[in-house]
Amino acid sequence: MKRFFAVLLGAVVLCAGCSSSSGSEEAIAKYGSDTLKLYNWGEYMGENLISDFEDEFGVNVIVEYFDSNEMMYTKLQAGDSYDVLVPSDYMIERLMNEGMLQKLDHSKLPNLKNLVPDLTQLDYDPGNEYSAPYFWGSVGIVYNQNTVPTDLIEEQGWEILRNTDYAGDIYMYDSERDSFMVAFKALGYSMNTEDEAEIEEAYQWLRELNDTMEPAYVTDEVIDNMMNGNKSLAVVYSGDATVILEENPDMRFYMPAEGTNIWSDAMVIPANAENPALAHEFINYVLTYDASYANSEYVGYASSNQEVLEDMSSEGGLYADNEAYLPRMGYEKDEIFHDNQVLKEKLAELWIKVKAEQ
Amino acid sequence: MRHFRTMVFPYLVWIAIMIVLPMLLIVLYAFTVRGNDVTTFRFTLENFAYFFSDAIFLDVLKRSLLIALATTAICVVIGYPTAYFIANALPTWHMRLVLLVTLPTWINMLVRTYAWMGILQDNGLINTFLEMIGLAPVKLLHTSFAVVLGMVYNFLPFMILQIHTSLTKMDQSLLEAASDLGASNVQRFLRVTLPLSLPGVISGITLVFLPAVSSFFIPKLLGGGQYVLIGNVIETQFLTSGNWNFGSAISMIMAVIIMISMYITKKVDRNASEGGGQG
Repeated sequence: MKRFFAVLLGAVVLCAGCSSSSGSEEAIAKYGSDTLKLYNWGEYMGENLISDFEDEFGVNVIVEYFDSNEMMYTKLQAGDSYDVLVPSDYMIERLMNEGMLQKLDHSKLPNLKNLVPDLTQLDYDPGNEYSAPYFWGSVGIVYNQNTVPTDLIEEQGWEILRNTDYAGDIYMYDSERDSFMVAFKALGYSMNTEDEAEIEEAYQWLRELNDTMEPAYVTDEVIDNMMNGNKSLAVVYSGDATVILEENPDMRFYMPAEGTNIWSDAMVIPANAENPALAHEFINYVLTYDASYANSEYVGYASSNQEVLEDMSSEGGLYADNEAYLPRMGYEKDEIFHDNQVLKEKLAELWIKVKAEQ
Repeated sequence: MRHFRTMVFPYLVWIAIMIVLPMLLIVLYAFTVRGNDVTTFRFTLENFAYFFSDAIFLDVLKRSLLIALATTAICVVIGYPTAYFIANALPTWHMRLVLLVTLPTWINMLVRTYAWMGILQDNGLINTFLEMIGLAPVKLLHTSFAVVLGMVYNFLPFMILQIHTSLTKMDQSLLEAASDLGASNVQRFLRVTLPLSLPGVISGITLVFLPAVSSFFIPKLLGGGQYVLIGNVIETQFLTSGNWNFGSAISMIMAVIIMISMYITKKVDRNASEGGGQG
């Protein structure tokens, strides 16, 4: 038996050698190495994105997954080296401020011209000096149109989450950032506020919600649960809402008039990347029409590629009838999150207290 | 004998680095304010004052202790008869039964807890079955029931194994002697077996209570995001709010509570075994 495994192992090693040898020498000559280390969110890429890239450029891609920006940051700080990361806006701001990113070489990224114009002027990185947007979206409410009348949700906005007719019937994210965003917006404040009185008011708003509504605080389970129609209302990221709406025709998506969070995740190259040349090649590849389309088709999040975004959301497009797919652009009450460690820690402290009260 | 003593040395170094040093760091963090640099410390009792002045934290503490007590009690009630049954089983079955008890612990605790989520959720195994036989579905996941169930399930083997060990170590001739002197089966159990197995029960209680009172992933998975126990509060301090000083202070408070409860159980144990000796 041992001998059998040894032979098998030998065969596998040989095979691995022969399949990658074809392009790798070329790749090594061109990029200095034929290996790209990518650190991305789980379930965030088209099925064949990596294998297509590997085939086309004759390289190997090692992918690791994270499930929160903070987790990614911790690994990066521990000294792990990656070539491409896909963090969110406020985390990119933090990495930029701490000098942990390198500038993008625009001469190697001709496909940056494909970006949605709004995404080239994001205020944490105007002109895409450090980051190339990957997906973007908003946060809104997914609701069951059989139990929640559309005019009611339009009238009440975020306040519908405190409408006791729906007590025990709502999902919220178990995240201080998203929950306080809802509270701040419902009260008409900025979600980047540092005003103590406004923070206190938002805290009381959430306490009352927690007290009267028996909300379920969830993370990604919200997707399956809303597909199954388990509850009437849920705060959901627009990309996940797209998937829910595709699966369950009773569900609709609403972006409250009081404003919401517009977020974006973007590709960046850390300062300690081992293969920045190949990293640029990868970023440029993801921004092509075909790769962007496949990504957006598979994941359901809004593409950063203007042409893909238009094709998907216009007449006859894959998500033409899906009101969650296309994020709201240029609405003055919408905001993006800024990096603010002091505020974040304060909200985290208050959030555990909101949840702990029973 | 002397050269054996030097062999302990690596172990002492290990203890110093892996256990004593981290404990000292926790104490240091607990008594200092945030944002100390490496050389200067500003000492404070604020972290403790903050904990005890806020009714929410005290509520969470009370809830955690109650859940842990319930878990421990259920583990004793289920664990003792199981251990007794295994200890008195035929020799050929003995090892197989012990294996059955330990078998689940070979699989990662997190994975087994995730499995319970699938069983308990609204459209999970149990509710699907209820629906099939025409009964209304019951909300199981995200309740105290689910949390206690998860804890009992995960920690029960510790209780069974502890009691089982003390039962099998027991000298069988004592039971024979008791019978010879005319004790009934019930008397034999109450006067001989039970007192002699108490040390096992006590260490089982310690082994179940400690992880139960500080567990944070079982309440998180089976209780849902809205189910907060003291372990979750500590986790938040370290992972999201970044307040290591307050987190350390809560950990210290927990350590003190645990030490006190261990002291009490030890004392009960000693009294009980003395009582057993006299009886």
